[in-house]
Amino acid sequence: MITPLNHYLEVIKTSLRLDAPAETEVIRELEAHIEDRFQELTESGLSEEEAASTCVGLLGSAKLVARQIYEAHSQGTWKQALLAATPHLLLGLFFALDWWQHIGWLSAMLALVILASIYGWWRGKPTWVFPWLGYSLLPVMIAGILLLYLPRHWSLLLLPLYFPLALWWLFYIIIQTTKKDWLCSSLMLLPIPIIAGWFLTIAPEGRLTDYAIQRMYYFAPWIGLSFIALALIIATFIRVRQRWLRIGLLAVAAILTFAVIAYYASERLSISTMMGLILVMWGVFLVPPLLERWVRSHKRPKVDKENIDYHAEEVLVAKGSRRY
Amino acid sequence: MASRNDLMKGGSDSLLLCLLEQQPMYGYQIIKELEARSQGYFRFKEGTLYPALHRLEKAGLILSQWQTLANGRQRKYYHITAKGLAKLVLEKDQWQNFFNAMQLIIMPENV
Repeated sequence: MITPLNHYLEVIKTSLRLDAPAETEVIRELEAHIEDRFQELTESGLSEEEAASTCVGLLGSAKLVARQIYEAHSQGTWKQALLAATPHLLLGLFFALDWWQHIGWLSAMLALVILASIYGWWRGKPTWVFPWLGYSLLPVMIAGILLLYLPRHWSLLLLPLYFPLALWWLFYIIIQTTKKDWLCSSLMLLPIPIIAGWFLTIAPEGRLTDYAIQRMYYFAPWIGLSFIALALIIATFIRVRQRWLRIGLLAVAAILTFAVIAYYASERLSISTMMGLILVMWGVFLVPPLLERWVRSHKRPKVDKENIDYHAEEVLVAKGSRRY
Repeated sequence: MASRNDLMKGGSDSLLLCLLEQQPMYGYQIIKELEARSQGYFRFKEGTLYPALHRLEKAGLILSQWQTLANGRQRKYYHITAKGLAKLVLEKDQWQNFFNAMQLIIMPENV
């Protein structure tokens, strides 16, 4: 049977959304507190059941405690803000300064993105690594586009192989990041619809023709500007503590960049392509939280709430029936 | 009229720093000490003490360290840092000014 104290700690654990070592440390500290309080209450004459419920009541709402602990830990340093903004900033400069014409810069940037992603993944997936991870998905997208340039029979042969593999890889990365926090997945996926939007604006037929490259010269400053704006918003995202503010900032980043694309792409994109892009953008914000719910419901043993006699917010303390 | 909790919100950091200035303590010990010294006036919702401690630690005002007690249990002790001590001096000064001003208005006969 799940005791109220176990349930309390489980709610804290699932609501914390911190790195694994920080989460373990918080739970260990709360367990130590509960141990002391529980012992004191049982020594004062309460039954174990009464002591457990009183203890939960004295601790206060588990969700509130978890939220406040998240806010105490969530604020990144300026260094982390700079690290998180760097890939967007580099891509912004890549277009704004016309580096995109040099294959050397492109290769160096791809190498940097992959190295930073691997390094961050191995260092426990700090929040700054997620924008880098988003760009590390680009080579997979580029490989798909390159398949279109192969002779027709090769394309037909390889595309059915490519799509399941690419989708599996995308799904795997999203699941892994969602396990930490769905917001990290959204942070990671955010550049993808923006890149896709600009790509379709330049090459509505989905192929990089000479005409599309000519258009790139015209659009490059605006593409650069949209990614520099994204970099500034992401740096702010890392510095703020409140979760609702972080969600708001990602939404602002999505709306702002999409508005820029829509403005410059007017008459170049069909209504259906625009709608498709809007759907993908919505997906960036809706799929990760839904996946998180799914992952957690499969990971956690099901809690039979009828077996839990006490709730954090409504506990009557046995001594004198005093309400805390 | 502001509730006791509202009044405490602005002063909780000062209270914690003040207690830790005297000796390193762990969370449960802080709650007991605060309650005892204030004769039951200051009572945290116990869980909310930890976010406050973690916030102070992130700000570099206190440091934490796990220690094993004589009974074998492990407790996370918080120590005040030099930065915390400097901040406490400023806060004590601010509170003193606040109390003096309040007293001048609310209880002028005691001044």
